[in-house]
Amino acid sequence: MYIFDEKIGRRKFIRDVAAASAVTAVGLGTNSLAKTEKSPEKSKGKKKKAIPQELAVNAAGKKHWGREAGEWIPTCCNMCGGQSGVLVHVVDGVVEKIEPNHWNPNNYSNISTDFFDGYTEAYGCKEGGAICPKGNAGIMQLYDPDRIKKPLKRTNPDKSPGADPKWKEISWDEALDEIAQKMRTLRDAGEAQKLLWMSEDHSFTHVQGDFCTLYGTPNYVMHSNICDVARKASFKAVMGDDRPLADFLQSNYILLFGWNPSSAIKWVHLPRILTRGIEKGAKLVVVDPYLSDTAAKAHEWVSIRPATDGALALAMGHVIVHDKLYNKEFVKNWTVGFKEYSEFVKDKTPAWAEKITSVPAKTIERLAKEVAKAKAACIDVWSGPGQHSNGVQGGRAIAMLGALVGGYDRPGTLVSPDKKGNKHGHCDPTEDAAKTKKLPTFDEAKKYPLGHSSGVYTQMFENLAEDKGPYKPKMMMCVFQNPMMSIPGPATVAKAISKLETFVVIDTMLSETAKLADYVLPGTTYLERYDLNTHWVTWGCMALRQPVVKPLFGQLAEYEVVAALGRRLKLKDHEGKEFFKVGPLSGKPIEDLKGWYEDFLSNEVKKGAPGMTLAELKALPGAVWVDKKGTRYEKYKNVLAEDKLKTAWFDGDPKTEGTGIYDKPKDKGGKRIGIVVGGKPVQGFATSSGKVELYAKWMIDKKDAQGRPVNPLPEYTPRDWMPSADYPFYHINWKEASHTHTRTQNNPWLLDLKSENPLIMHPLAAKRLNVRTGDVVWLESPYGKVKGKVKVSKRIHPEVVGLQHGFGHTALGKKAAGVGTSDASLRPTKSDALSGQALHKEACVRIVKA
Amino acid sequence: MDTHEKNKNKSELDRRELLSHLSKTGAGALAVVLVGGGVISMLRSASASTSASTGKRKFRYGMVIDTRRCVGCEACVVACKAENKTPPGVFNNIVLKEPDKKSSVEKPLFMSRPCFHCENPPCVPACPKDATYKRESDGIVVVDYDRCVGYQDCIDACPYGARTFDEGKDYPAVTEKTPYAQVPSPEYNQFRLREGDTKTEEKVRKCTFCLHLQDQEGRYDKKAGRWPACAKTCTGHAIHFGDFNDPDSDVSKLLKERKSIRLKENLGTQPNVYYLV
Repeated sequence: MYIFDEKIGRRKFIRDVAAASAVTAVGLGTNSLAKTEKSPEKSKGKKKKAIPQELAVNAAGKKHWGREAGEWIPTCCNMCGGQSGVLVHVVDGVVEKIEPNHWNPNNYSNISTDFFDGYTEAYGCKEGGAICPKGNAGIMQLYDPDRIKKPLKRTNPDKSPGADPKWKEISWDEALDEIAQKMRTLRDAGEAQKLLWMSEDHSFTHVQGDFCTLYGTPNYVMHSNICDVARKASFKAVMGDDRPLADFLQSNYILLFGWNPSSAIKWVHLPRILTRGIEKGAKLVVVDPYLSDTAAKAHEWVSIRPATDGALALAMGHVIVHDKLYNKEFVKNWTVGFKEYSEFVKDKTPAWAEKITSVPAKTIERLAKEVAKAKAACIDVWSGPGQHSNGVQGGRAIAMLGALVGGYDRPGTLVSPDKKGNKHGHCDPTEDAAKTKKLPTFDEAKKYPLGHSSGVYTQMFENLAEDKGPYKPKMMMCVFQNPMMSIPGPATVAKAISKLETFVVIDTMLSETAKLADYVLPGTTYLERYDLNTHWVTWGCMALRQPVVKPLFGQLAEYEVVAALGRRLKLKDHEGKEFFKVGPLSGKPIEDLKGWYEDFLSNEVKKGAPGMTLAELKALPGAVWVDKKGTRYEKYKNVLAEDKLKTAWFDGDPKTEGTGIYDKPKDKGGKRIGIVVGGKPVQGFATSSGKVELYAKWMIDKKDAQGRPVNPLPEYTPRDWMPSADYPFYHINWKEASHTHTRTQNNPWLLDLKSENPLIMHPLAAKRLNVRTGDVVWLESPYGKVKGKVKVSKRIHPEVVGLQHGFGHTALGKKAAGVGTSDASLRPTKSDALSGQALHKEACVRIVKA
Repeated sequence: MDTHEKNKNKSELDRRELLSHLSKTGAGALAVVLVGGGVISMLRSASASTSASTGKRKFRYGMVIDTRRCVGCEACVVACKAENKTPPGVFNNIVLKEPDKKSSVEKPLFMSRPCFHCENPPCVPACPKDATYKRESDGIVVVDYDRCVGYQDCIDACPYGARTFDEGKDYPAVTEKTPYAQVPSPEYNQFRLREGDTKTEEKVRKCTFCLHLQDQEGRYDKKAGRWPACAKTCTGHAIHFGDFNDPDSDVSKLLKERKSIRLKENLGTQPNVYYLV
């Protein structure tokens, strides 16, 4: 409000809310930055209003740097694994700005009708795409002055964490020669399997996989198993697809267990389709021990004890079965094991689940009835419940709810994506390489009955550290990964690395892991390199990532490093062709490494669904290929094509319900391609029975990695590690929009959003411990202790403390080091025994004032 | 502690102070307004009708921000930094994330907050140097860096905390002379670098509705990407921008169709930013 201030002789604005009406004083306050000086003019009496005038304009600046200057290059983001489309403004070889790419569905919607509605070739999707804060901050990742600029060689033999590596800068040729020589020695000794290679799971993976194949190591492992393989295992077992996608937009009821899609964004269409789904009338319910920013948008937050989501789902199943609220048609025609499931949930009452979950029985009953009555329900679960030792079975219980209330692959439910994109070319190793390639993997991934092709990092490091496993590896390549921060139990990781003869890291930043390396090669950011990105929307879509600027320090892109090593080793395929020299598409030798990789990619695009060359892909609007066919629903009902049926083999009477259909006889390695339903040969679900499995018969004889029998029913068992008198709190972590994994904590724009990660604690717990917001405490577990700064909030379950993952670096860069808390050392290096999922959220702690 | 570290800590302190101030000065009341349906009716109903002074104007630019769509991701905050090259401690927009006081579990309410480019901007008369004014052509409140001497009275005068002071700090990509250091800020089409005379050190900074993206006639063009950076990147598509003088614009239509509020209506500032509730 204004008052006339006699002293200063002019109307003065008073911002004290107490002076204004209590109701309407919607204060946003003002900045309270300290002033450098007071304005002397204040005492000079009433001043005259100046006549506004035009501001000076720098026309030359505009011509040089304005939007019309330079180029806007379409490419894909890689600030996280979401890979949304971006347009990058490049002037004079410098990235000026990054904006959304409107032609890329990943930036807009995962449903094709929504994407194509109002789409024009000139502009792209109707409302325009979006990019998240991380995508906007990519420039600071590229121009981070702390980046590694030259290859580094360790000269200090002491490889313990904290030891000064005494780096020596060496030339690229020296680095590649020396690394190749170490690889050659191994291979010549017939020990190619002793090379371990770990990488991200979506960046230049094919070329690394090919290298490992031709070199002869079975040990190419990827990031997924420290991410979401528990979810993959759960859905794969229940409905046959390891990554069905939630169609929020057309849903009436969205029930999320431990998923934070509007904040831990990943695919940037998620905030839009979630809020739009709500706008169209969907109810959003979020089950989570922490009131995530997604729960903040929900109609209801269900606060639950960690890792008890499975029990909640079983009790909901109990209500749905007991009250006969399930979708009878779907259950009858498209599921197996309903009888066993019904029996199993008979005693899983809401009262039973209340004791386990802390969710009131009445709430459970109501939620079950609500979701069962919804026309199209989206029931989903991600890494909240997934990263605990009982995550897979809990995920199965949740996935089965979806089947009970109306099934999959329909609008508004979880839809199986048509994954179409580039095709990984076939590459056969020489006989020698094949011999070692066939050896068991060092991480013993086969021990995990619902494991994933990405391997098991925790088992690999554990085996290495403790001299276990089938052989003793000597060398590891670690590309774009920071296991010292991203794997539970960094002490095990460090010990494992110390057992290697040679440890090579390729990264843009000198991470905690890089500091343990014998060689560090400077990596590229996504703005300096190529990739092909098959997007996670429900229909075919593939986009190009391309270098928009040259690598800043003249470094080789990661795939060029791979090819350069392959050339030094003269790796050949079984036809005797030097794989990393001859372009797979052109069939001709290509001297230039980048040129060779362009040909490699061109081959993948040409042989894949787009059926075009790399150059043609580049020329498409937004450099993205989008399948015009769009989203298809109820694909399980599709009748098999005539040509497939002609050569098909049936495992029973072709008219009998449930008969399996194979591409060739089962004993000759036939793959199941369909099932007989209602007398028709249809595609079915890609499960072992061809239908959604409420009971998995095939699991009866299986044992988990610890030798325990696997229950074919989704039983709830408490996770292995539960709170005790000594360690009374559950300790969890989560992701938010501001940062990606442990990679972005040196990015100043993202640090502006979130500069540290306080430990969130419920007021009841804080009172008991006599701590307040801002207090520093020790979090102690039997495995380690770390400091955390308390933030008291009712947003968390009273028995739980937790924080945003990613902080607590001791290296990475000047801004990142020493800020916030890493909780990795509170946990053992352990995975779930069914899927090999790293257990990032299973810890119990006690809290002691520091 | 090196300078870098000190700057970082100070910048963080400033931000924390700001946020704590925000929480003290009425975000709770905001929660009441947003949640209690009864209270909304007590506010003057928001309308796009133009006052006498705005009638003369060619454009009346403003925003309609849909609180139901805002997910609090802060993409708008970073996009603004990327567009305007604002230095550490300068935020032309922020996202308010204050707990809803009515919620027993401190559920946050998210609101992206640019400058409101008020019809009656209290920051303008506060400036002893006449360095800030509301443009006659389109109502955008600007700062003339050639006149601003950093007294910051306007910062005190703004009831919405929409102005910040440029202390002259820079991000490492600039201080350590990476290629990015040569990229100027396009603000006001002045393309200033963070060095020498052009540096806006000790000036007051604020949202300009990205007016440098207007064409010569003062028009924006979403399809051509000439649109405020925050609105362009918004992940929930919550930020609508346009001309309230144009009855067919998105923003005019939304105000007609939906219930909206303006913040601190009682102050008579008449913001040109409305919130859909």
